[in-house]
Amino acid sequence: MEIAIPPDLVFVLLAAVTLIAAVLALQAKELIYGAIALGISFIGIAGFFVFLDAPYLAMLQIAVYVGAVVVLILFTIMLVRREQSDELLDRPEGGQGAVGLWLAGLLAVAIAGVAALAGPNLPTAPPAGNLPVSSLGLVLVAEYPIPLLILALLISAALLGALVLAKVEK
Amino acid sequence: MALNPWLMILIWAIVVIALTGPMLTLPMFWSRRKPDPFRDMPFESGQVPQGEARHRLVMQYYPYLLMFVVFDVVGMFLFAWGMSFTKIPLYASFPVLLFLFLLAAPLGYALHLALRRENW
Amino acid sequence: MVNLPATPADLIPFFLAVITSRTFIQIIIFPGFIHVTLVTAFLTWYERKIIARIQLRIGPLYAGGPGGILQPIADGVKLIFKEVMIPYKADKPLFLAIPLALVVMAALPFAVIPFGQNWVIANLDVGLVFVFAMTSLFPLMILIFAWASNSKYPFLGGLRSLFQQVAYEIPMWISALSIVMLAGSLSLVDIVNAQARIWFIIPAFLSFIVFFISIMAELERLPFDLPTAEPELVAGWFTESSGAIFMLQFLALYMKMYLMSSLVTVLFLGGWWGPAFLPQPVWFIIKTLIVATFIIIPRAVFARIRVDMLITIGWTRLLIVALVNVFLTVLLITSGLTAILGM
Repeated sequence: MEIAIPPDLVFVLLAAVTLIAAVLALQAKELIYGAIALGISFIGIAGFFVFLDAPYLAMLQIAVYVGAVVVLILFTIMLVRREQSDELLDRPEGGQGAVGLWLAGLLAVAIAGVAALAGPNLPTAPPAGNLPVSSLGLVLVAEYPIPLLILALLISAALLGALVLAKVEK
Repeated sequence: MALNPWLMILIWAIVVIALTGPMLTLPMFWSRRKPDPFRDMPFESGQVPQGEARHRLVMQYYPYLLMFVVFDVVGMFLFAWGMSFTKIPLYASFPVLLFLFLLAAPLGYALHLALRRENW
Repeated sequence: MVNLPATPADLIPFFLAVITSRTFIQIIIFPGFIHVTLVTAFLTWYERKIIARIQLRIGPLYAGGPGGILQPIADGVKLIFKEVMIPYKADKPLFLAIPLALVVMAALPFAVIPFGQNWVIANLDVGLVFVFAMTSLFPLMILIFAWASNSKYPFLGGLRSLFQQVAYEIPMWISALSIVMLAGSLSLVDIVNAQARIWFIIPAFLSFIVFFISIMAELERLPFDLPTAEPELVAGWFTESSGAIFMLQFLALYMKMYLMSSLVTVLFLGGWWGPAFLPQPVWFIIKTLIVATFIIIPRAVFARIRVDMLITIGWTRLLIVALVNVFLTVLLITSGLTAILGM
């Protein structure tokens, strides 16, 4: 038994979840709520990865971003005292909200106009199809060994930098 | 079942939420709710709680949190490699092993920093 | 191809088709929701009985049926009717929502665990990583709940829980990496299928040990349960839980235990392979219960380990062992021993 679900519906739902969570993350009254909304937004992005036939990337997104980065963000938020954390909240002044909305509207009109003018000549991504997940590992090791090693150095530098910075500040 | 597995997971998630949601909401109707300022005080073995509850934060394990972020990413990369390990010739795995070796030095230094209490 | 009902007249045939379909049975009954909740409830009774016997007691006896087997239901009913006390100035929406999220996150990975050749809800290509991604969300939710409780004991206990679970996630992942290398796939069904001749516990015994220890630390079972130990932190991060909230967290804890036990069975003990005189899911459940027994028994036997030693051991000793184990597995595979063992 198969159920036909229109992909547009999935896309709209995912986009709605991600965007609403992102807006909530920016507008939250408490930083903790903002961080949690950010986590939900990341999960929405992971949903997009699934939708784009990249399940491994989706799992990496959830495990790394939601599982580790959001934890770090929350930990940092809790590190700051209550009074100081209220200073960190950035409330948009009166005019800024209206200008932001207007710019967003302009951008939406521009994108829609370009898409309408291009008509059927819009470049489409090549169909991903059902790539076996092992191909990711194969490509990673066989074709990109140098970036892998550079990545190792980058990660080490980030780790040591963060540790040394935190140590000095304490 | 050739059905899309992600759809099944979505259905499963909806089913779980729908069937455990009542476990949370129904007791709200069936149990009494009388907020009592003395009983609702945070538990502190009988004393009156003092001080802000949330401000005491241990910085002692902070480097472990950073290392966790790094090793999360490293772990996911290793899974990508491990999947295709039997399908590639041995010399193709050397970059990954070198990757691990390159990370050993910062790991050692991070642990060294983390294990000394006076740093935090 | 059944389409979504377009007109109201389509609804009844649609529902009939859904209910009698194998998919529905799999999701709701077995290995679906009813099975997971029943076995989780059974595990609470099972644990109390085993620990009681080790301590020369009897355990739950009077709750009806042979040996008090309805005890979990009695507990559940009692907790439903108890009042949920929300601490003063606690964060009410988070306090109520997080336990529900914990249960959902504990139940979600069951969709990819195969209970038999055709008894899996969703056969993902990335099944194992899906389970690990979901389990990596637990420390996050514990941290949020500890903060939302606005009380010192839960907060400290929650932080310790966070660091403990975070410390043992990496050895868990890296020891499972050896299994992925041996099986050549992340799909749990493929991993079980690769154990048709020989269970992975034999070539990957060191991985099994590291994985088992990591699981016991993830589940916060003794000897690793300092974050929720009574003489230390009252009850750790669920000190302020009462009534339905406590029931949900209790359920989440034992669901996690069932999940981890079945993960051990899938990865190391050959999943549902067994002599043909019993159906495959029965073999799976038997093996999982044996693993759960070995997780339960140390609680009655061992002393507790101090939390900072715990975290240090997780990051130093266990991680090194897990990494060395990866190299050993590489050697094992390249030297052709696995071919000798018939894999």
